[in-house]
Amino acid sequence: MRSITIALAIARKDLVSEWRTRELVPALAQFIVLALVIANFGFQIDSRSAPAIAPGVLWLALVFAGLVAFGRAFASEREQATLEAVLLSAAPPAAIFAGKALAAGLLLVLCEAVLLPALALFFGVPMSFGLAVIVLLATVGMAALGCMFAAMVAQLRARELLLPLLTLPLWIPFIVAGGQGVQVAMGAGGSLDQPLGLLLDFDILFVVLTSLAARFVLDD
Amino acid sequence: MSAVVAEGLSHWFGSEPALDAVDLVVERGDHVAVLGENGAGKTTLLRILSTALRPSSGKLEIMGLDALRERRRLRARMGYVSHSPGVYPALTAEENLAFFCDLRGADRSRVPEALDLAGLTQVARRRAGALSRGMQQRLAIARAVLHDPLLLILDEPDASLDAAGADLLAAVMRGRTAVLATHDQALATRLCQRTLTLRKGRVLGPGSRLRIVQ
Repeated sequence: MRSITIALAIARKDLVSEWRTRELVPALAQFIVLALVIANFGFQIDSRSAPAIAPGVLWLALVFAGLVAFGRAFASEREQATLEAVLLSAAPPAAIFAGKALAAGLLLVLCEAVLLPALALFFGVPMSFGLAVIVLLATVGMAALGCMFAAMVAQLRARELLLPLLTLPLWIPFIVAGGQGVQVAMGAGGSLDQPLGLLLDFDILFVVLTSLAARFVLDD
Repeated sequence: MSAVVAEGLSHWFGSEPALDAVDLVVERGDHVAVLGENGAGKTTLLRILSTALRPSSGKLEIMGLDALRERRRLRARMGYVSHSPGVYPALTAEENLAFFCDLRGADRSRVPEALDLAGLTQVARRRAGALSRGMQQRLAIARAVLHDPLLLILDEPDASLDAAGADLLAAVMRGRTAVLATHDQALATRLCQRTLTLRKGRVLGPGSRLRIVQ
């Protein structure tokens, strides 16, 4: 119970800080819109090609926005020299990690709230509840992995280079299952059950693994 | 039972020894000053005592607990102030302390008391990023005593404090065991009964207040 209180306190602190400084979300939203504009001009999009191209554009925008969002989660603590104070507060590392991942994940969800309508606007693909669920499920697992690697590289000089190198290979399962699900949700035919089940399995696996690894990553 | 018993504490950064076989005993209620030039190993020693850093070798027992194995239990009983305040600039002074109350499971009703102790009541609702460096350091000191710790580890907390800051340090150290690293020998003489002088990671020999004055 105390771990949940601590995780929520950390997430609330990160969200309040972001609300007051507006460092991350406006920049990410701009990045997403720009990525869609470039894709719109870069591809010859018509009503037939849009459902095939849109999922790829969605995941590219989401992956790069995610790298920035999760990278900032621990980079800001390093810049402010606050992580040590948090660790020395005797808070469980798994709770600290969960709070950081929750806040970074919620910030990415805010960006997705810009991304999905913008995708519908630029590519003319249908928005659906299934599409939102697929993207949200992928965000959970991506947040867990992204924050774990962000914590690992936070103290290193080459962190901007290392974070994508470590994170992207492990995000591939989410992109594969999520890409499949998004194509189905955009009307490519087939059932959503398999991608939804896969994403849920990956979420459980990586949330558990990263929670167990949090102590070693943060405190050792 | 002694508050701190360290035997042969050593630490290397790469091939460079930062601390070399340091022995230290701090009795309960004692105030010990750690003196030394820049790079003498003061911060390394204090970070090890605070459990933020694992020593490369040696034994460390704090309040009867193995400091290498019982780190979380010990952290709940100690407060640490580093020379860098490490406060959240976007949160107010009050919110910074309330956040750490939540992390430590302390009652938020302790916040006004801690702000008052640090002389920050007037700026409680000002963002920490807008406070002067000295005020941020006062906030860090208030944060370290929110949970009423038995042991205080203070790493050059006076670096950006004004003259009245020494009174604040005396107030927070009163009734607690404390290890204080400082360059200010006058402050060490005023606040501590014993001193430990480090040079290149080695202890020069246990001193006393008299020895420093002489």
